[in-house]
Amino acid sequence: MTMQAEKSAAPAFETDFWKDANLRKVWDEIVPGVPRKTLPYKLTFEAIALYCKAVGETNPLYLDEAAAKAGPYGGLIAPPSIHILLMFSCTPADDWMRSPGTVNAGQSWSYNVPARPDDTITLQARALDKFIKRERLFVVHDNVFFNQHGDVICSGRGQTIRPM
Amino acid sequence: MTASFDNLKTGDTIDGPSFAVSRESIRLFCDASLDYNPLHLDDDYMKGNFGRTNFGGIIMHGMNNFGLISRMLTDWAMPVGAIHRRLETRWVKPVKPGDTIRPSGIIKAKQVTAKSRWVLIDVIVRNQRDEPVATGEAMVEFPVLAKAG
Repeated sequence: MTMQAEKSAAPAFETDFWKDANLRKVWDEIVPGVPRKTLPYKLTFEAIALYCKAVGETNPLYLDEAAAKAGPYGGLIAPPSIHILLMFSCTPADDWMRSPGTVNAGQSWSYNVPARPDDTITLQARALDKFIKRERLFVVHDNVFFNQHGDVICSGRGQTIRPM
Repeated sequence: MTASFDNLKTGDTIDGPSFAVSRESIRLFCDASLDYNPLHLDDDYMKGNFGRTNFGGIIMHGMNNFGLISRMLTDWAMPVGAIHRRLETRWVKPVKPGDTIRPSGIIKAKQVTAKSRWVLIDVIVRNQRDEPVATGEAMVEFPVLAKAG
Protein backbone atom coordinates (compact mmCIF):
# COMPACT_ATOMS: atom_id res chain seq x y z
CA MET A 1 0.00 0.00 0.00
CA THR A 2 1.39 3.41 -0.90
CA MET A 3 1.71 6.27 1.59
CA GLN A 4 -1.07 8.07 -0.27
CA ALA A 5 -3.36 5.06 -0.08
CA GLU A 6 -2.64 4.71 3.64
CA LYS A 7 -3.52 8.34 4.15
CA SER A 8 -6.79 8.09 2.27
CA ALA A 9 -7.72 4.86 4.09
CA ALA A 10 -7.34 6.47 7.51
CA PRO A 11 -10.49 8.18 8.78
CA ALA A 12 -10.09 11.95 8.92
CA PHE A 13 -9.77 13.42 12.38
CA GLU A 14 -13.06 15.03 13.40
CA THR A 15 -12.26 18.60 14.31
CA ASP A 16 -15.83 19.47 15.30
CA PHE A 17 -15.83 18.42 18.95
CA TRP A 18 -19.59 19.11 19.17
CA LYS A 19 -20.38 16.41 16.64
CA ASP A 20 -20.11 13.40 18.97
CA ALA A 21 -20.66 15.31 22.18
CA ASN A 22 -23.77 13.31 23.06
CA LEU A 23 -21.77 10.06 22.88
CA ARG A 24 -19.26 11.13 25.49
CA LYS A 25 -19.47 10.30 29.15
CA VAL A 26 -20.35 13.09 31.53
CA TRP A 27 -18.73 13.35 34.96
CA ASP A 28 -21.42 11.16 36.56
CA GLU A 29 -20.74 8.32 34.10
CA ILE A 30 -16.95 8.32 34.30
CA VAL A 31 -15.85 5.40 36.48
CA PRO A 32 -12.34 5.69 37.92
CA GLY A 33 -10.32 2.62 37.02
CA VAL A 34 -12.17 1.74 33.82
CA PRO A 35 -9.81 1.78 30.82
CA ARG A 36 -10.52 4.34 28.12
CA LYS A 37 -10.88 3.15 24.54
CA THR A 38 -7.68 3.91 22.65
CA LEU A 39 -6.35 3.62 19.11
CA PRO A 40 -2.87 2.83 17.77
CA TYR A 41 -1.39 5.79 15.95
CA LYS A 42 1.49 5.95 13.48
CA LEU A 43 3.51 9.04 14.29
CA THR A 44 4.84 10.77 11.19
CA PHE A 45 7.66 13.20 10.61
CA GLU A 46 5.06 15.63 9.25
CA ALA A 47 3.05 15.51 12.48
CA ILE A 48 6.21 16.08 14.51
CA ALA A 49 7.21 18.99 12.28
CA LEU A 50 3.78 20.60 12.64
CA TYR A 51 3.92 20.26 16.42
CA CYS A 52 7.44 21.78 16.40
CA LYS A 53 6.16 24.72 14.34
CA ALA A 54 3.32 25.33 16.80
CA VAL A 55 5.65 25.70 19.79
CA GLY A 56 8.64 27.15 17.92
CA GLU A 57 10.87 24.10 18.25
CA THR A 58 13.87 24.24 15.91
CA ASN A 59 16.02 21.50 17.43
CA PRO A 60 17.69 19.57 14.59
CA LEU A 61 17.19 16.30 16.47
CA TYR A 62 13.50 16.65 15.60
CA LEU A 63 13.76 18.15 12.14
CA ASP A 64 17.09 17.48 10.42
CA GLU A 65 17.64 13.84 9.55
CA ALA A 66 21.38 14.11 8.89
CA ALA A 67 22.05 16.01 12.11
CA ALA A 68 19.84 13.66 14.08
CA LYS A 69 21.62 10.61 12.69
CA ALA A 70 24.90 12.00 14.01
CA GLY A 71 23.33 12.88 17.36
CA PRO A 72 22.87 10.96 20.60
CA TYR A 73 19.75 9.09 19.47
CA GLY A 74 21.10 7.94 16.10
CA GLY A 75 18.10 9.32 14.23
CA LEU A 76 15.18 11.66 14.36
CA ILE A 77 13.12 11.83 17.53
CA ALA A 78 10.04 13.75 18.62
CA PRO A 79 10.09 16.39 21.37
CA PRO A 80 9.14 14.93 24.77
CA SER A 81 5.93 16.93 24.83
CA ILE A 82 4.63 15.19 21.69
CA HIS A 83 2.23 13.43 24.09
CA ILE A 84 0.10 16.56 23.73
CA LEU A 85 -0.69 15.37 20.20
CA LEU A 86 -0.72 11.69 21.11
CA MET A 87 -3.47 12.23 23.69
CA PHE A 88 -5.91 13.09 20.92
CA SER A 89 -4.49 10.96 18.12
CA CYS A 90 -4.66 7.79 20.26
CA THR A 91 -8.25 8.23 21.41
CA PRO A 92 -11.55 7.93 19.51
CA ALA A 93 -14.04 10.70 18.82
CA ASP A 94 -16.29 9.68 21.72
CA ASP A 95 -13.52 9.99 24.32
CA TRP A 96 -14.56 12.27 27.16
CA MET A 97 -11.33 14.24 26.93
CA ARG A 98 -12.87 15.89 23.86
CA SER A 99 -16.03 17.09 25.57
CA PRO A 100 -16.42 20.78 24.70
CA GLY A 101 -15.69 22.89 27.75
CA THR A 102 -13.19 20.45 29.27
CA VAL A 103 -10.72 22.67 31.13
CA ASN A 104 -7.20 21.38 31.71
CA ALA A 105 -6.16 22.16 35.29
CA GLY A 106 -2.59 20.86 35.10
CA GLN A 107 -0.56 17.80 34.16
CA SER A 108 2.61 15.94 35.10
CA TRP A 109 4.61 13.74 32.74
CA SER A 110 7.64 11.46 33.07
CA TYR A 111 9.77 10.64 30.04
CA ASN A 112 11.53 7.37 29.31
CA VAL A 113 12.49 6.82 25.66
CA PRO A 114 11.76 9.32 22.92
CA ALA A 115 9.05 8.77 20.34
CA ARG A 116 10.34 8.61 16.79
CA PRO A 117 8.87 9.17 13.35
CA ASP A 118 7.15 6.01 12.06
CA ASP A 119 6.63 4.64 15.56
CA THR A 120 3.28 2.98 16.04
CA ILE A 121 2.18 4.32 19.38
CA THR A 122 -0.38 2.85 21.73
CA LEU A 123 -1.97 4.29 24.84
CA GLN A 124 -3.20 2.76 28.06
CA ALA A 125 -5.40 5.28 29.83
CA ARG A 126 -8.12 5.59 32.42
CA ALA A 127 -9.72 7.95 34.84
CA LEU A 128 -7.97 7.41 38.15
CA ASP A 129 -10.13 9.52 40.44
CA LYS A 130 -12.94 12.05 40.43
CA PHE A 131 -14.02 14.60 42.97
CA ILE A 132 -15.92 17.84 43.56
CA LYS A 133 -14.13 20.93 44.77
CA ARG A 134 -15.54 24.46 45.04
CA GLU A 135 -18.60 23.38 43.01
CA ARG A 136 -16.40 22.14 40.18
CA LEU A 137 -16.33 18.58 38.86
CA PHE A 138 -12.81 17.18 38.55
CA VAL A 139 -11.50 14.00 36.93
CA VAL A 140 -7.94 12.76 37.33
CA HIS A 141 -6.67 10.89 34.27
CA ASP A 142 -3.59 8.72 33.91
CA ASN A 143 -1.95 7.69 30.71
CA VAL A 144 0.99 5.61 29.46
CA PHE A 145 2.22 5.72 25.86
CA PHE A 146 4.18 2.80 24.40
CA ASN A 147 6.07 2.32 21.14
CA GLN A 148 5.78 -0.76 18.93
CA HIS A 149 8.56 -2.47 20.90
CA GLY A 150 6.62 -2.23 24.13
CA ASP A 151 8.91 0.45 25.54
CA VAL A 152 7.29 3.14 27.64
CA ILE A 153 7.69 6.48 25.89
CA CYS A 154 6.14 8.55 28.64
CA SER A 155 3.58 8.39 31.39
CA GLY A 156 1.51 11.14 32.84
CA ARG A 157 -1.52 12.21 34.71
CA GLY A 158 -3.57 15.33 34.89
CA GLN A 159 -6.72 16.93 36.16
CA THR A 160 -9.53 18.27 34.06
CA ILE A 161 -12.53 20.28 35.17
CA ARG A 162 -15.54 18.74 33.49
CA PRO A 163 -18.21 20.78 31.74
CA MET A 164 -21.39 21.13 33.85
CA MET B 1 24.47 29.14 29.46
CA THR B 2 26.53 25.94 29.49
CA ALA B 3 25.54 23.69 32.34
CA SER B 4 27.34 20.78 33.91
CA PHE B 5 26.07 18.97 36.96
CA ASP B 6 29.06 19.94 39.07
CA ASN B 7 29.00 23.66 38.36
CA LEU B 8 25.25 24.13 38.71
CA LYS B 9 24.02 25.62 41.94
CA THR B 10 20.77 26.46 43.63
CA GLY B 11 19.37 29.70 42.32
CA ASP B 12 20.89 29.41 38.84
CA THR B 13 18.37 30.50 36.24
CA ILE B 14 17.26 29.24 32.86
CA ASP B 15 15.74 31.62 30.34
CA GLY B 16 13.15 30.34 27.91
CA PRO B 17 11.86 31.66 24.62
CA SER B 18 9.40 34.51 24.27
CA PHE B 19 6.19 33.43 22.55
CA ALA B 20 3.65 35.79 20.99
CA VAL B 21 0.14 34.42 21.35
CA SER B 22 -2.35 35.17 18.59
CA ARG B 23 -5.52 33.69 17.22
CA GLU B 24 -3.31 32.18 14.51
CA SER B 25 -0.86 30.63 16.99
CA ILE B 26 -3.78 29.11 18.90
CA ARG B 27 -5.31 27.75 15.70
CA LEU B 28 -1.92 26.30 14.73
CA PHE B 29 -1.71 24.61 18.12
CA CYS B 30 -5.18 23.12 17.49
CA ASP B 31 -3.92 21.63 14.22
CA ALA B 32 -0.68 20.38 15.75
CA SER B 33 -2.24 18.88 18.89
CA LEU B 34 -5.63 17.87 17.43
CA ASP B 35 -7.20 19.59 20.43
CA TYR B 36 -10.12 21.44 18.85
CA ASN B 37 -11.92 22.19 22.09
CA PRO B 38 -14.16 25.24 21.42
CA LEU B 39 -12.45 26.98 24.36
CA HIS B 40 -9.72 27.73 21.83
CA LEU B 41 -11.81 28.38 18.72
CA ASP B 42 -15.33 29.56 19.29
CA ASP B 43 -15.89 33.19 20.31
CA ASP B 44 -19.63 32.73 20.72
CA TYR B 45 -19.18 29.73 23.00
CA MET B 46 -16.68 31.66 25.09
CA LYS B 47 -19.23 34.40 25.81
CA GLY B 48 -20.81 31.94 28.23
CA ASN B 49 -19.88 31.24 31.82
CA PHE B 50 -17.93 28.27 33.14
CA GLY B 51 -19.31 27.97 36.62
CA ARG B 52 -18.32 31.28 38.15
CA THR B 53 -15.69 31.98 35.50
CA ASN B 54 -16.12 33.97 32.32
CA PHE B 55 -13.02 33.97 30.14
CA GLY B 56 -14.31 36.76 27.91
CA GLY B 57 -13.04 35.16 24.71
CA ILE B 58 -10.99 32.28 23.43
CA ILE B 59 -7.98 31.17 25.46
CA MET B 60 -4.70 29.50 24.59
CA HIS B 61 -4.33 25.80 25.32
CA GLY B 62 -2.77 25.27 28.74
CA MET B 63 -0.58 22.64 27.11
CA ASN B 64 0.95 25.32 24.88
CA ASN B 65 2.59 26.55 28.10
CA PHE B 66 3.71 22.99 28.75
CA GLY B 67 5.23 22.73 25.28
CA LEU B 68 7.14 25.98 25.73
CA ILE B 69 8.52 24.94 29.12
CA SER B 70 9.53 21.59 27.67
CA ARG B 71 11.27 23.39 24.78
CA MET B 72 13.19 25.54 27.27
CA LEU B 73 14.28 22.47 29.25
CA THR B 74 15.41 20.41 26.26
CA ASP B 75 17.26 23.38 24.74
CA TRP B 76 19.09 23.74 28.05
CA ALA B 77 19.70 20.06 28.75
CA MET B 78 20.41 18.39 25.43
CA PRO B 79 23.60 20.27 24.48
CA VAL B 80 25.29 19.02 27.67
CA GLY B 81 24.04 15.44 27.39
CA ALA B 82 21.37 15.87 30.06
CA ILE B 83 17.84 14.49 29.66
CA HIS B 84 14.52 16.16 30.40
CA ARG B 85 12.81 13.49 32.54
CA ARG B 86 9.78 15.07 34.17
CA LEU B 87 7.56 18.14 34.06
CA GLU B 88 4.61 19.00 36.26
CA THR B 89 2.58 22.12 35.64
CA ARG B 90 -0.45 23.97 36.90
CA TRP B 91 -2.27 26.72 35.04
CA VAL B 92 -2.85 29.78 37.18
CA LYS B 93 -4.15 32.34 34.71
CA PRO B 94 -5.64 32.08 31.22
CA VAL B 95 -3.56 33.26 28.27
CA LYS B 96 -5.30 35.15 25.47
CA PRO B 97 -4.53 36.38 21.95
CA GLY B 98 -2.31 39.44 22.20
CA ASP B 99 -0.40 38.15 25.21
CA THR B 100 3.32 37.45 25.09
CA ILE B 101 4.50 34.69 27.37
CA ARG B 102 7.93 33.49 28.41
CA PRO B 103 8.97 30.49 30.48
CA SER B 104 11.89 30.53 32.89
CA GLY B 105 13.40 28.19 35.41
CA ILE B 106 15.36 28.37 38.62
CA ILE B 107 17.38 25.51 40.03
CA LYS B 108 15.91 24.37 43.31
CA ALA B 109 18.12 21.42 44.22
CA LYS B 110 20.53 18.78 43.03
CA GLN B 111 20.28 15.13 43.97
CA VAL B 112 22.65 12.21 43.49
CA THR B 113 20.97 8.80 43.43
CA ALA B 114 22.38 5.29 43.29
CA LYS B 115 22.84 5.39 39.54
CA SER B 116 22.41 8.92 38.35
CA ARG B 117 22.32 12.65 39.08
CA TRP B 118 19.32 14.93 39.01
CA VAL B 119 18.59 18.64 38.91
CA LEU B 120 15.24 19.86 40.23
CA ILE B 121 13.95 23.04 38.65
CA ASP B 122 11.09 25.35 39.55
CA VAL B 123 9.50 26.61 36.35
CA ILE B 124 7.19 29.50 35.69
CA VAL B 125 5.60 31.11 32.65
CA ARG B 126 4.87 34.82 32.86
CA ASN B 127 2.89 37.09 30.56
CA GLN B 128 3.84 40.59 29.39
CA ARG B 129 2.56 42.06 32.67
CA ASP B 130 4.93 39.77 34.56
CA GLU B 131 1.95 37.82 35.90
CA PRO B 132 2.46 34.07 36.37
CA VAL B 133 0.24 32.10 33.99
CA ALA B 134 1.70 28.65 34.72
CA THR B 135 3.93 27.21 37.42
CA GLY B 136 5.54 23.86 37.98
CA GLU B 137 8.52 21.68 38.68
CA ALA B 138 10.86 19.75 36.42
CA MET B 139 13.53 17.09 36.75
CA VAL B 140 16.52 16.87 34.44
CA GLU B 141 18.83 13.87 34.59
CA PHE B 142 22.57 14.29 34.19
CA PRO B 143 23.67 10.70 33.54
CA VAL B 144 26.97 9.68 35.10
CA LEU B 145 28.03 8.24 31.78
CA ALA B 146 26.74 10.39 28.99
CA LYS B 147 24.07 8.35 27.23
CA ALA B 148 20.79 9.01 25.54
CA GLY B 149 17.78 7.11 26.60
